[in-house]
Amino acid sequence: MTKTMSYYPGCSSQASAVHLDTSLRAVMGKLGVQLRDVEDWNCCGASVGHIEGGHLGQAALSGRNLANAQAAGDEDFVTPCAACYLNSHYTNEKIRENPTVKAQVNEALAEAGKSYDGGLHVRHACEVIVNDIGMDKVKDQVTNPLTGMKIAGWVGCQTVRPFAKTDRGGMWETYDDPSFLDDFVTACGAEAVPFKGKTKCCGGSVSVMSPDKTLHLMKDILDEVKTSGAEAVVTPCPLCQTNLEMYQPEINKKFGTDFNFPVLFYSQLMAVAFGLEAKTDAALHQHLIPPVSLLSRAK
Amino acid sequence: MNAPSPTPTKKYDLSFARWVYDNIDGGDRMALCMQCGTCSGSCPIGTQMDHGPRKLFMMIRAGMKEAVLTSNTLWNCVSCYNCVVRCPRKVPVAYILHDLATVAVREGYAEARNSDNARFAKAFWWSAAKYGRTDERLVTGKYYFSFGIGEGYKRGMANLPIAMGMIKTKRMHLGMPHKCSNTGELHKILAKAAEIEARDHGKQG
Repeated sequence: MTKTMSYYPGCSSQASAVHLDTSLRAVMGKLGVQLRDVEDWNCCGASVGHIEGGHLGQAALSGRNLANAQAAGDEDFVTPCAACYLNSHYTNEKIRENPTVKAQVNEALAEAGKSYDGGLHVRHACEVIVNDIGMDKVKDQVTNPLTGMKIAGWVGCQTVRPFAKTDRGGMWETYDDPSFLDDFVTACGAEAVPFKGKTKCCGGSVSVMSPDKTLHLMKDILDEVKTSGAEAVVTPCPLCQTNLEMYQPEINKKFGTDFNFPVLFYSQLMAVAFGLEAKTDAALHQHLIPPVSLLSRAK
Repeated sequence: MNAPSPTPTKKYDLSFARWVYDNIDGGDRMALCMQCGTCSGSCPIGTQMDHGPRKLFMMIRAGMKEAVLTSNTLWNCVSCYNCVVRCPRKVPVAYILHDLATVAVREGYAEARNSDNARFAKAFWWSAAKYGRTDERLVTGKYYFSFGIGEGYKRGMANLPIAMGMIKTKRMHLGMPHKCSNTGELHKILAKAAEIEARDHGKQG
Protein backbone atom coordinates (compact mmCIF):
# COMPACT_ATOMS: atom_id res chain seq x y z
CA MET A 1 0.00 0.00 0.00
CA THR A 2 1.36 3.39 -0.89
CA LYS A 3 1.22 6.20 1.61
CA THR A 4 1.58 9.84 0.54
CA MET A 5 3.57 12.34 2.58
CA SER A 6 4.41 16.00 2.09
CA TYR A 7 8.10 16.31 1.27
CA TYR A 8 10.35 19.30 1.98
CA PRO A 9 13.76 18.55 0.44
CA GLY A 10 15.52 21.78 1.48
CA CYS A 11 18.14 23.84 -0.35
CA SER A 12 20.96 21.30 0.02
CA SER A 13 18.87 18.89 -2.10
CA GLN A 14 19.78 21.01 -5.12
CA ALA A 15 23.43 21.42 -4.16
CA SER A 16 25.79 19.80 -1.65
CA ALA A 17 23.38 17.01 -0.66
CA VAL A 18 21.75 16.22 -3.98
CA HIS A 19 22.85 12.59 -3.41
CA LEU A 20 20.70 12.43 -0.25
CA ASP A 21 17.65 13.63 -2.14
CA THR A 22 18.16 11.27 -5.09
CA SER A 23 18.75 8.18 -2.96
CA LEU A 24 15.97 8.94 -0.47
CA ARG A 25 13.38 9.38 -3.22
CA ALA A 26 14.44 6.03 -4.71
CA VAL A 27 14.37 4.26 -1.34
CA MET A 28 11.05 5.73 -0.19
CA GLY A 29 9.46 4.57 -3.44
CA LYS A 30 10.53 1.00 -2.65
CA LEU A 31 9.25 1.37 0.91
CA GLY A 32 5.78 2.39 -0.24
CA VAL A 33 5.93 6.09 0.60
CA GLN A 34 5.08 8.56 -2.10
CA LEU A 35 6.79 11.90 -1.51
CA ARG A 36 4.75 14.86 -2.71
CA ASP A 37 6.99 17.93 -2.89
CA VAL A 38 5.84 21.01 -0.99
CA GLU A 39 4.71 23.50 -3.63
CA ASP A 40 7.38 26.13 -4.37
CA TRP A 41 9.18 25.51 -1.05
CA ASN A 42 11.71 28.02 0.27
CA CYS A 43 14.80 27.99 2.52
CA CYS A 44 14.23 27.38 6.26
CA GLY A 45 16.88 29.90 7.34
CA ALA A 46 19.15 27.15 8.73
CA SER A 47 21.32 28.05 11.75
CA VAL A 48 21.96 31.70 10.89
CA GLY A 49 18.78 33.14 9.34
CA HIS A 50 17.60 34.71 12.59
CA ILE A 51 20.72 36.88 12.91
CA GLU A 52 19.83 38.97 9.87
CA GLY A 53 16.15 38.14 9.39
CA GLY A 54 15.01 38.15 13.02
CA HIS A 55 13.03 35.45 14.78
CA LEU A 56 9.83 36.30 12.98
CA GLY A 57 11.51 36.39 9.57
CA GLN A 58 12.90 32.94 10.30
CA ALA A 59 9.46 31.73 11.44
CA ALA A 60 7.81 33.22 8.34
CA LEU A 61 10.10 31.16 6.09
CA SER A 62 8.89 27.92 7.68
CA GLY A 63 5.37 29.33 7.90
CA ARG A 64 5.15 29.71 4.12
CA ASN A 65 6.35 26.13 3.57
CA LEU A 66 3.86 24.78 6.10
CA ALA A 67 1.02 26.81 4.58
CA ASN A 68 1.84 25.56 1.09
CA ALA A 69 2.03 21.97 2.36
CA GLN A 70 -1.30 22.22 4.17
CA ALA A 71 -2.98 23.70 1.10
CA ALA A 72 -2.18 20.41 -0.66
CA GLY A 73 -3.35 18.14 2.16
CA ASP A 74 -3.05 17.18 5.83
CA GLU A 75 -0.41 14.50 5.36
CA ASP A 76 2.68 14.67 7.59
CA PHE A 77 5.41 17.10 6.52
CA VAL A 78 8.64 15.12 6.08
CA THR A 79 12.16 16.42 5.59
CA PRO A 80 15.51 14.59 5.40
CA CYS A 81 17.60 17.64 6.40
CA ALA A 82 18.57 18.17 10.04
CA ALA A 83 18.37 21.97 9.91
CA CYS A 84 15.14 21.96 7.88
CA TYR A 85 13.67 19.58 10.44
CA LEU A 86 14.82 21.72 13.35
CA ASN A 87 13.41 24.97 11.97
CA SER A 88 10.20 23.58 10.49
CA HIS A 89 9.40 21.53 13.59
CA TYR A 90 10.29 24.37 15.96
CA THR A 91 8.12 26.89 14.12
CA ASN A 92 5.27 24.42 13.80
CA GLU A 93 5.27 23.68 17.53
CA LYS A 94 5.52 27.41 18.33
CA ILE A 95 2.48 28.08 16.15
CA ARG A 96 0.58 25.31 17.95
CA GLU A 97 1.56 26.40 21.46
CA ASN A 98 1.82 30.15 21.24
CA PRO A 99 -1.20 32.17 20.04
CA THR A 100 0.94 35.32 19.64
CA VAL A 101 3.40 33.63 17.27
CA LYS A 102 0.51 31.99 15.42
CA ALA A 103 -1.17 35.38 14.90
CA GLN A 104 2.10 37.05 13.87
CA VAL A 105 3.07 34.37 11.34
CA ASN A 106 -0.45 34.36 9.90
CA GLU A 107 -0.50 38.14 9.63
CA ALA A 108 2.70 37.90 7.53
CA LEU A 109 1.33 35.00 5.45
CA ALA A 110 -1.88 36.96 4.79
CA GLU A 111 0.17 39.35 2.66
CA ALA A 112 0.25 36.53 0.13
CA GLY A 113 -3.29 35.33 0.83
CA LYS A 114 -2.02 32.34 2.80
CA SER A 115 -2.68 30.97 6.26
CA TYR A 116 -1.56 28.11 8.45
CA ASP A 117 -3.31 26.74 11.55
CA GLY A 118 -0.58 24.47 12.98
CA GLY A 119 -2.44 21.34 11.92
CA LEU A 120 0.48 19.47 10.34
CA HIS A 121 3.07 17.23 11.98
CA VAL A 122 6.68 17.95 10.96
CA ARG A 123 8.78 14.80 10.95
CA HIS A 124 12.29 13.67 10.10
CA ALA A 125 12.60 11.14 7.29
CA CYS A 126 14.59 8.70 9.48
CA GLU A 127 11.86 8.73 12.09
CA VAL A 128 9.26 7.98 9.42
CA ILE A 129 11.32 4.96 8.33
CA VAL A 130 11.60 3.72 11.92
CA ASN A 131 8.06 4.37 13.13
CA ASP A 132 5.77 4.33 10.08
CA ILE A 133 7.53 1.95 7.74
CA GLY A 134 9.31 -0.24 10.28
CA MET A 135 12.59 -2.10 10.11
CA ASP A 136 10.93 -5.34 9.00
CA LYS A 137 9.77 -3.69 5.81
CA VAL A 138 13.26 -2.29 5.24
CA LYS A 139 14.75 -5.78 5.65
CA ASP A 140 12.15 -7.19 3.26
CA GLN A 141 13.49 -4.95 0.49
CA VAL A 142 17.12 -6.06 0.86
CA THR A 143 18.12 -8.16 -2.14
CA ASN A 144 21.80 -7.24 -2.16
CA PRO A 145 22.98 -7.47 1.47
CA LEU A 146 26.16 -5.54 2.23
CA THR A 147 27.72 -8.51 4.01
CA GLY A 148 31.14 -7.86 5.51
CA MET A 149 31.04 -4.06 5.25
CA LYS A 150 31.91 -2.32 8.49
CA ILE A 151 30.16 1.02 8.92
CA ALA A 152 30.31 3.70 11.61
CA GLY A 153 26.88 5.23 12.22
CA TRP A 154 27.24 8.94 12.95
CA VAL A 155 23.97 10.78 13.59
CA GLY A 156 25.26 14.29 14.34
CA CYS A 157 23.24 16.85 16.29
CA GLN A 158 20.02 18.31 15.00
CA THR A 159 18.39 15.09 13.81
CA VAL A 160 17.96 14.17 17.49
CA ARG A 161 18.61 17.42 19.36
CA PRO A 162 16.75 19.17 20.79
CA PHE A 163 13.57 17.24 19.89
CA ALA A 164 14.34 13.67 20.98
CA LYS A 165 12.14 12.54 23.82
CA THR A 166 9.54 15.26 23.16
CA ASP A 167 5.94 14.26 22.50
CA ARG A 168 5.85 15.12 18.81
CA GLY A 169 9.55 15.31 18.13
CA GLY A 170 10.78 12.08 16.71
CA MET A 171 10.15 9.52 19.41
CA TRP A 172 13.87 8.74 19.58
CA GLU A 173 14.73 7.03 22.81
CA THR A 174 17.74 9.27 23.48
CA TYR A 175 19.56 12.27 22.14
CA ASP A 176 23.03 10.97 23.06
CA ASP A 177 23.16 7.41 21.78
CA PRO A 178 20.33 6.69 19.35
CA SER A 179 20.31 3.25 17.74
CA PHE A 180 18.28 3.87 14.59
CA LEU A 181 21.25 4.46 12.31
CA ASP A 182 22.92 1.22 13.43
CA ASP A 183 19.59 -0.52 12.83
CA PHE A 184 19.57 0.82 9.26
CA VAL A 185 23.15 -0.40 8.71
CA THR A 186 22.38 -3.83 10.12
CA ALA A 187 19.15 -4.12 8.12
CA CYS A 188 21.22 -3.55 4.97
CA GLY A 189 23.35 -6.56 5.91
CA ALA A 190 26.43 -4.58 6.94
CA GLU A 191 28.07 -4.50 10.34
CA ALA A 192 27.48 -1.44 12.54
CA VAL A 193 30.70 -0.97 14.50
CA PRO A 194 30.35 0.31 18.07
CA PHE A 195 30.67 4.10 17.80
CA LYS A 196 30.64 6.30 20.88
CA GLY A 197 30.71 9.60 19.03
CA LYS A 198 27.28 9.05 17.51
CA THR A 199 25.98 12.51 18.26
CA LYS A 200 29.23 14.46 18.25
CA CYS A 201 29.11 17.80 16.49
CA CYS A 202 31.01 18.55 13.24
CA GLY A 203 30.82 22.29 13.91
CA GLY A 204 27.80 22.80 11.67
CA SER A 205 27.71 26.13 9.88
CA VAL A 206 30.67 27.37 11.94
CA SER A 207 32.75 24.79 10.06
CA VAL A 208 31.64 26.36 6.79
CA MET A 209 32.55 29.91 7.82
CA SER A 210 35.46 29.38 10.25
CA PRO A 211 36.90 25.85 9.87
CA ASP A 212 39.93 26.79 11.98
CA LYS A 213 37.64 26.73 15.02
CA THR A 214 36.23 23.28 14.37
CA LEU A 215 38.60 21.05 12.37
CA HIS A 216 39.60 19.34 15.63
CA LEU A 217 35.96 18.33 16.23
CA MET A 218 35.89 16.48 12.91
CA LYS A 219 39.32 15.00 13.61
CA ASP A 220 37.97 13.52 16.86
CA ILE A 221 35.13 11.89 14.94
CA LEU A 222 37.48 10.53 12.26
CA ASP A 223 39.91 9.25 14.92
CA GLU A 224 37.14 7.09 16.33
CA VAL A 225 36.09 5.93 12.85
CA LYS A 226 39.67 4.78 12.34
CA THR A 227 40.02 2.92 15.64
CA SER A 228 36.57 1.36 15.18
CA GLY A 229 37.78 -0.48 12.10
CA ALA A 230 34.99 0.94 9.93
CA GLU A 231 35.65 1.48 6.24
CA ALA A 232 33.06 4.23 5.87
CA VAL A 233 30.84 6.58 7.85
CA VAL A 234 27.09 6.83 7.38
CA THR A 235 25.04 9.87 8.44
CA PRO A 236 21.54 11.31 7.95
CA CYS A 237 22.63 14.99 7.97
CA PRO A 238 23.46 16.93 4.78
CA LEU A 239 25.87 19.33 6.46
CA CYS A 240 27.56 16.57 8.49
CA GLN A 241 28.16 14.66 5.25
CA THR A 242 29.63 17.62 3.42
CA ASN A 243 31.75 18.88 6.31
CA LEU A 244 33.23 15.51 7.26
CA GLU A 245 33.96 14.66 3.65
CA MET A 246 35.29 17.93 2.25
CA TYR A 247 37.54 18.78 5.18
CA GLN A 248 39.48 15.50 5.35
CA PRO A 249 42.38 16.82 3.20
CA GLU A 250 42.55 19.95 5.40
CA ILE A 251 42.45 17.86 8.58
CA ASN A 252 45.23 15.62 7.25
CA LYS A 253 47.32 18.71 6.50
CA LYS A 254 46.74 20.27 9.91
CA PHE A 255 47.09 17.17 12.09
CA GLY A 256 49.37 14.93 10.00
CA THR A 257 46.68 12.25 9.68
CA ASP A 258 45.85 10.13 6.63
CA PHE A 259 42.05 9.99 6.68
CA ASN A 260 40.29 9.05 3.48
CA PHE A 261 36.93 7.72 4.69
CA PRO A 262 33.89 7.83 2.43
CA VAL A 263 30.96 9.57 4.18
CA LEU A 264 27.63 8.18 2.99
CA PHE A 265 23.96 8.78 3.57
CA TYR A 266 21.89 5.93 5.06
CA SER A 267 19.64 6.20 2.03
CA GLN A 268 22.56 5.40 -0.29
CA LEU A 269 23.34 2.25 1.71
CA MET A 270 19.68 1.25 1.47
CA ALA A 271 19.55 1.97 -2.25
CA VAL A 272 22.50 -0.36 -2.88
CA ALA A 273 21.14 -3.03 -0.51
CA PHE A 274 17.73 -2.80 -2.21
CA GLY A 275 19.46 -3.61 -5.51
CA LEU A 276 18.75 -0.19 -6.99
CA GLU A 277 20.96 1.43 -9.61
CA ALA A 278 24.37 2.76 -8.45
CA LYS A 279 24.23 6.09 -10.22
CA THR A 280 20.63 7.13 -10.84
CA ASP A 281 19.28 5.78 -7.53
CA ALA A 282 22.17 5.56 -5.04
CA ALA A 283 24.07 8.57 -6.49
CA LEU A 284 27.36 6.97 -5.51
CA HIS A 285 29.25 9.02 -8.11
CA GLN A 286 28.65 12.23 -6.17
CA HIS A 287 31.31 11.84 -3.51
CA LEU A 288 34.55 13.75 -3.14
CA ILE A 289 35.94 10.57 -1.54
CA PRO A 290 34.58 7.75 -3.72
CA PRO A 291 32.92 4.90 -1.78
CA VAL A 292 34.94 2.26 -3.65
CA SER A 293 33.77 -0.75 -1.69
CA LEU A 294 30.09 0.17 -1.88
CA LEU A 295 30.45 0.92 -5.60
CA SER A 296 31.86 -2.56 -6.20
CA ARG A 297 28.79 -4.07 -4.53
CA ALA A 298 26.23 -1.93 -6.36
CA LYS A 299 24.17 -3.15 -9.28
CA MET B 1 13.22 43.56 19.74
CA ASN B 2 13.93 46.48 17.44
CA ALA B 3 13.84 49.00 20.26
CA PRO B 4 17.28 49.03 21.85
CA SER B 5 17.76 47.24 25.12
CA PRO B 6 18.27 49.41 28.23
CA THR B 7 21.82 50.10 29.39
CA PRO B 8 22.25 49.69 33.16
CA THR B 9 23.62 52.82 34.79
CA LYS B 10 24.04 51.89 38.44
CA LYS B 11 25.02 48.93 40.62
CA TYR B 12 22.48 46.13 40.94
CA ASP B 13 20.59 47.52 37.92
CA LEU B 14 18.42 44.72 36.61
CA SER B 15 16.96 46.65 33.67
CA PHE B 16 18.95 44.76 31.01
CA ALA B 17 18.35 41.38 32.65
CA ARG B 18 14.62 42.06 32.81
CA TRP B 19 14.62 43.15 29.18
CA VAL B 20 16.31 39.86 28.25
CA TYR B 21 13.76 37.86 30.29
CA ASP B 22 10.92 39.62 28.43
CA ASN B 23 12.29 39.97 24.90
CA ILE B 24 14.59 37.06 24.16
CA ASP B 25 13.30 33.71 22.94
CA GLY B 26 13.56 31.50 26.03
CA GLY B 27 14.60 34.46 28.19
CA ASP B 28 11.73 33.83 30.58
CA ARG B 29 13.42 30.59 31.66
CA MET B 30 16.83 32.22 32.02
CA ALA B 31 15.85 33.41 35.48
CA LEU B 32 15.89 29.73 36.50
CA CYS B 33 19.59 29.32 35.71
CA MET B 34 21.35 27.97 38.81
CA GLN B 35 24.88 28.43 37.43
CA CYS B 36 25.69 24.71 37.35
CA GLY B 37 27.78 25.04 34.17
CA THR B 38 26.36 21.99 32.38
CA CYS B 39 25.89 24.19 29.30
CA SER B 40 29.46 25.46 29.15
CA GLY B 41 30.80 21.98 29.91
CA SER B 42 28.67 20.46 27.14
CA CYS B 43 29.74 22.94 24.48
CA PRO B 44 31.95 21.45 21.72
CA ILE B 45 33.96 24.66 21.34
CA GLY B 46 33.26 26.17 24.74
CA THR B 47 37.00 26.41 25.34
CA GLN B 48 37.18 28.93 22.50
CA MET B 49 34.51 31.16 24.04
CA ASP B 50 35.58 34.16 26.07
CA HIS B 51 32.92 33.45 28.67
CA GLY B 52 30.69 30.47 27.91
CA PRO B 53 26.92 30.51 28.45
CA ARG B 54 26.96 30.02 32.22
CA LYS B 55 29.11 33.06 32.85
CA LEU B 56 27.34 35.06 30.18
CA PHE B 57 24.01 34.50 31.92
CA MET B 58 25.48 35.75 35.20
CA MET B 59 26.87 38.78 33.37
CA ILE B 60 23.37 39.53 32.10
CA ARG B 61 22.09 39.47 35.67
CA ALA B 62 24.98 41.69 36.70
CA GLY B 63 23.90 44.28 34.13
CA MET B 64 27.05 43.94 32.00
CA LYS B 65 25.18 44.68 28.78
CA GLU B 66 28.08 45.83 26.64
CA ALA B 67 30.36 42.97 27.69
CA VAL B 68 27.55 40.52 26.90
CA LEU B 69 26.72 41.94 23.47
CA THR B 70 30.40 42.16 22.44
CA SER B 71 31.18 38.66 23.73
CA ASN B 72 32.40 36.04 21.24
CA THR B 73 30.28 33.47 23.12
CA LEU B 74 27.39 34.57 20.89
CA TRP B 75 29.38 33.71 17.78
CA ASN B 76 30.92 30.39 18.71
CA CYS B 77 27.63 28.52 19.08
CA VAL B 78 27.73 25.55 16.70
CA SER B 79 23.98 24.90 17.22
CA CYS B 80 24.49 21.34 18.50
CA TYR B 81 21.79 21.82 21.18
CA ASN B 82 23.69 19.80 23.80
CA CYS B 83 23.15 22.66 26.26
CA VAL B 84 19.41 22.78 25.52
CA VAL B 85 18.78 19.09 26.16
CA ARG B 86 21.14 18.78 29.13
CA CYS B 87 20.14 21.86 31.16
CA PRO B 88 18.62 20.56 34.41
CA ARG B 89 16.46 23.68 34.61
CA LYS B 90 15.32 23.44 30.99
CA VAL B 91 16.79 26.79 30.02
CA PRO B 92 16.89 26.83 26.20
CA VAL B 93 20.50 28.04 26.18
CA ALA B 94 21.29 27.93 22.44
CA TYR B 95 18.07 29.75 21.56
CA ILE B 96 18.97 32.52 24.01
CA LEU B 97 22.47 32.84 22.50
CA HIS B 98 20.99 33.00 19.00
CA ASP B 99 18.56 35.76 19.92
CA LEU B 100 21.25 37.71 21.78
CA ALA B 101 23.35 37.50 18.60
CA THR B 102 20.52 39.15 16.68
CA VAL B 103 20.29 41.89 19.33
CA ALA B 104 24.05 42.50 19.23
CA VAL B 105 24.00 42.97 15.44
CA ARG B 106 20.89 45.17 15.49
CA GLU B 107 22.29 47.41 18.20
CA GLY B 108 25.35 47.91 16.04
CA TYR B 109 28.21 46.54 18.15
CA ALA B 110 31.30 46.37 15.95
CA GLU B 111 32.47 43.09 17.50
CA ALA B 112 29.14 41.58 16.52
CA ARG B 113 28.91 43.03 13.03
CA ASN B 114 32.47 42.02 12.21
CA SER B 115 32.07 38.48 13.49
CA ASP B 116 32.30 35.62 10.99
CA ASN B 117 28.74 34.56 11.82
CA ALA B 118 27.22 37.98 11.27
CA ARG B 119 29.01 38.31 7.91
CA PHE B 120 27.94 34.81 6.93
CA ALA B 121 24.38 35.39 8.14
CA LYS B 122 24.16 38.55 6.04
CA ALA B 123 25.20 36.66 2.91
CA PHE B 124 22.95 33.74 3.79
CA TRP B 125 19.85 35.84 4.44
CA TRP B 126 20.47 37.81 1.24
CA SER B 127 20.23 34.58 -0.79
CA ALA B 128 17.38 33.03 1.21
CA ALA B 129 15.24 36.18 1.14
CA LYS B 130 16.02 37.22 -2.46
CA TYR B 131 15.77 33.84 -4.17
CA GLY B 132 13.90 31.82 -1.56
CA ARG B 133 16.79 29.35 -1.71
CA THR B 134 20.31 29.23 -0.37
CA ASP B 135 22.85 29.31 -3.16
CA GLU B 136 25.96 27.83 -1.53
CA ARG B 137 28.23 29.38 -4.20
CA LEU B 138 26.94 32.92 -3.83
CA VAL B 139 26.68 32.74 -0.03
CA THR B 140 30.28 31.59 0.45
CA GLY B 141 31.51 34.03 -2.22
CA LYS B 142 29.69 36.98 -0.66
CA TYR B 143 30.93 35.92 2.76
CA TYR B 144 34.58 35.65 1.65
CA PHE B 145 34.51 39.03 -0.04
CA SER B 146 32.94 40.68 3.03
CA PHE B 147 36.52 40.66 4.37
CA GLY B 148 37.72 42.76 1.41
CA ILE B 149 38.84 42.01 -2.13
CA GLY B 150 42.28 40.66 -1.27
CA GLU B 151 41.08 38.44 1.57
CA GLY B 152 38.08 37.31 -0.46
CA TYR B 153 40.34 36.25 -3.31
CA LYS B 154 42.68 34.47 -0.88
CA ARG B 155 39.85 32.54 0.77
CA GLY B 156 38.28 31.73 -2.57
CA MET B 157 41.56 30.35 -3.90
CA ALA B 158 42.15 28.33 -0.71
CA ASN B 159 38.75 26.67 -1.19
CA LEU B 160 39.11 26.18 -4.92
CA PRO B 161 39.96 22.44 -4.67
CA ILE B 162 36.75 21.84 -2.69
CA ALA B 163 34.68 23.93 -5.13
CA MET B 164 36.16 22.08 -8.12
CA GLY B 165 35.37 18.77 -6.45
CA MET B 166 31.80 19.85 -5.79
CA ILE B 167 31.35 20.95 -9.41
CA LYS B 168 32.86 17.69 -10.70
CA THR B 169 30.50 15.60 -8.54
CA LYS B 170 27.53 17.78 -9.57
CA ARG B 171 26.96 19.10 -6.06
CA MET B 172 27.58 22.66 -7.17
CA HIS B 173 25.91 23.80 -10.36
CA LEU B 174 27.04 26.37 -12.88
CA GLY B 175 24.62 29.00 -14.10
CA MET B 176 21.77 30.93 -12.54
CA PRO B 177 20.87 30.46 -8.85
CA HIS B 178 18.05 28.08 -7.96
CA LYS B 179 15.03 30.09 -6.87
CA CYS B 180 11.39 29.86 -5.86
CA SER B 181 8.99 30.54 -8.69
CA ASN B 182 6.98 32.98 -6.58
CA THR B 183 9.70 35.13 -5.02
CA GLY B 184 7.43 38.19 -5.07
CA GLU B 185 5.09 36.47 -2.64
CA LEU B 186 7.98 35.52 -0.37
CA HIS B 187 9.31 39.10 -0.38
CA LYS B 188 5.91 40.40 0.72
CA ILE B 189 5.68 37.86 3.56
CA LEU B 190 9.20 38.64 4.81
CA ALA B 191 8.68 42.42 4.62
CA LYS B 192 5.51 42.05 6.68
CA ALA B 193 7.28 39.77 9.18
CA ALA B 194 9.96 42.44 9.72
CA GLU B 195 7.26 45.10 10.14
CA ILE B 196 5.37 42.98 12.71
CA GLU B 197 8.54 42.22 14.64
CA ALA B 198 9.27 45.96 14.91
CA ARG B 199 5.70 46.76 15.87
CA ASP B 200 5.14 43.94 18.38
CA HIS B 201 8.50 44.43 20.05
CA GLY B 202 8.65 42.21 23.11
CA LYS B 203 5.63 40.14 22.24
CA GLN B 204 7.00 36.80 21.16
CA GLY B 205 5.40 35.00 24.04
